[in-house]
Amino acid sequence: MAELVGISALLLVFLTILLAGGVWIAMALMATGYVGMQFIGGGIPSGPVLATTIWGNSNSWALAALPLFIWMGEILFRTKLSEEMFRGLAPWLNRIPGRLMHVNVLACGIFGSVSGSSAATCATVAKIALPELKKRGYDEMVSLGSLAGAGTLGILIPPSITMVVYAVAANVSIIQIFLAGFLPGFLVMALYSGYIAGWSLAHPEKTPPPEPQMTLSEKLHESKQLIPLTLLILLVFLSLMLGWATATECAAWGVMGSLGIAWWHGALTWESFWASVMGTVRVNCMIMLILAGASYMSTSMAYTGIPATLAGWVDSFHLSPYALIAALTVMYIVLGTALDGISMIVLTTSIVIPMVKQAGFDLVWFGIFVVLVVEMAEVSPPVGFNLFVLQTMSGKDSNTVARASLPFFFLLIVAVAIITVFPDIVMVLPRLAFPG
Amino acid sequence: MIRTLLDKLYLFAGYAAGGFLIAIFVLMMLLSAGRPIGLNIPAGDDLVSWCMVATSFLGLAHTFRHGEMIRVGLLIDRLEGRPRHIIEIISLLVGGSFVAFFAYYAALLTFDSWRFHDMAQGVLPVPLWIPQLGYSGGLFILLIAFIDEFIHVVRGNAPRYEKPKPVTAEEVVEQAIQSGV
Repeated sequence: MAELVGISALLLVFLTILLAGGVWIAMALMATGYVGMQFIGGGIPSGPVLATTIWGNSNSWALAALPLFIWMGEILFRTKLSEEMFRGLAPWLNRIPGRLMHVNVLACGIFGSVSGSSAATCATVAKIALPELKKRGYDEMVSLGSLAGAGTLGILIPPSITMVVYAVAANVSIIQIFLAGFLPGFLVMALYSGYIAGWSLAHPEKTPPPEPQMTLSEKLHESKQLIPLTLLILLVFLSLMLGWATATECAAWGVMGSLGIAWWHGALTWESFWASVMGTVRVNCMIMLILAGASYMSTSMAYTGIPATLAGWVDSFHLSPYALIAALTVMYIVLGTALDGISMIVLTTSIVIPMVKQAGFDLVWFGIFVVLVVEMAEVSPPVGFNLFVLQTMSGKDSNTVARASLPFFFLLIVAVAIITVFPDIVMVLPRLAFPG
Repeated sequence: MIRTLLDKLYLFAGYAAGGFLIAIFVLMMLLSAGRPIGLNIPAGDDLVSWCMVATSFLGLAHTFRHGEMIRVGLLIDRLEGRPRHIIEIISLLVGGSFVAFFAYYAALLTFDSWRFHDMAQGVLPVPLWIPQLGYSGGLFILLIAFIDEFIHVVRGNAPRYEKPKPVTAEEVVEQAIQSGV
């Protein structure tokens, strides 16, 4: 026991030095796994274990969904979808307090259901919403904050690259995690929109006058813009829910539909097609090598017995589930200041999963928790990508954008609290689809 | 001469990875759309898995040179000049040794599959060394890229895998999306 604690401390220090020293994350994970192997008696051959573990884990049908979902986002980002969304949604929001500011939340939510990336969602919507809202005189702080916050819906509302990575790392079903993400996604949207409405009611002087009224037929005419996107969402989710396609195949249908939209917009050239392919290859390779390093580290950790011991140790405190989740939330917020979302997930799963399993949490539920804390990392300095995107797009300095996002960071903490107290919000859909 | 040859190697391996990505897409569509009309691809799921390995490993060198293999920049981005240069050399050395270790054992795995005539377990009895070639091959090309880069940096040059800081909004968005989160 005491020896194992010593070894884990040593490995942690070793990993931290490598990461802080700028060694590529995937290699740092492998190195830590290798060092961990040296502590086990019985002479386990670390090299062959490395090669076979990673071959076995990468040679996977389910994983093929990952590059396809990345590709879908790459294609859609190069289309005119964001303009269409803005024009299609805007006429309906004139009467609600906060008016067009809700476009940020709605458009991100809708785009999130075809995109698996938070930064891409944020950038796609901000590209058009930021200048349009500014032109009309909306408060820039709330506008920036809601874009940063709502952009993270890209990874909470399925499909989601983050969820695929978690599902692979924690060995749970991708479809179940996807299904679990819907209701929490709506919850977060409701929290954001509620905050915007409340803020607008409290500051009526900062809300610009409504747009000129449109007749219903004019509104419907404008909303025709939303048809291609709606069809794509239907294509992806109906194929999934009606059981026509597995999660991996539904990703292929999504790519098909996205190519269709790009072609419809006249944005599909050989050049843009190939650019999206190569962009996907690079993101996929980057993620896959990290997953490879993480799978080796997990294997090595399992040999050492550290995760089980730590889980038992944490269990011996008899923490209440709420206290455990609170402690983990704090830990992830701290980690999020240094690591990106994907590294954060693969780095922690091998240690944290046995712990939460022992405490009686469902791993599908925990996946949604992890996605929410990754979202917090996306909107908190210094490495939050959404802040980075908005900082450059708006020309504001990083402090302003971070301050603007702060309320939305707290709303995410509220969302974590709500799903912890009412876990059914997460579990009801996956249980409905997979009874028993 | 050798410079252009190496750059071409990384790039064309990247293109091959792109080809395997398209292959995954086409296979998957055929599998999904073919099922209702009775079209059946033997061992389609095996083929998809092998394409997945090939696309994930053949593109590594290209990804590395493009500066998209991520590392934690919090500390090292504050260093400049000589300290930064030294830390880059150490990073390349540590990272490179693990790539070498990995590539060696992946090659050994492939060689053993060839030597012992290991066959795929599925419907399609393919010798396993064929799909494993993409795995070990991709890692070897990555190793070459690391050695190439190590020599380049030791000679006192700035590393080529470092992306220039983005200036325009377009570049930031492009880089953010490449972060994958």
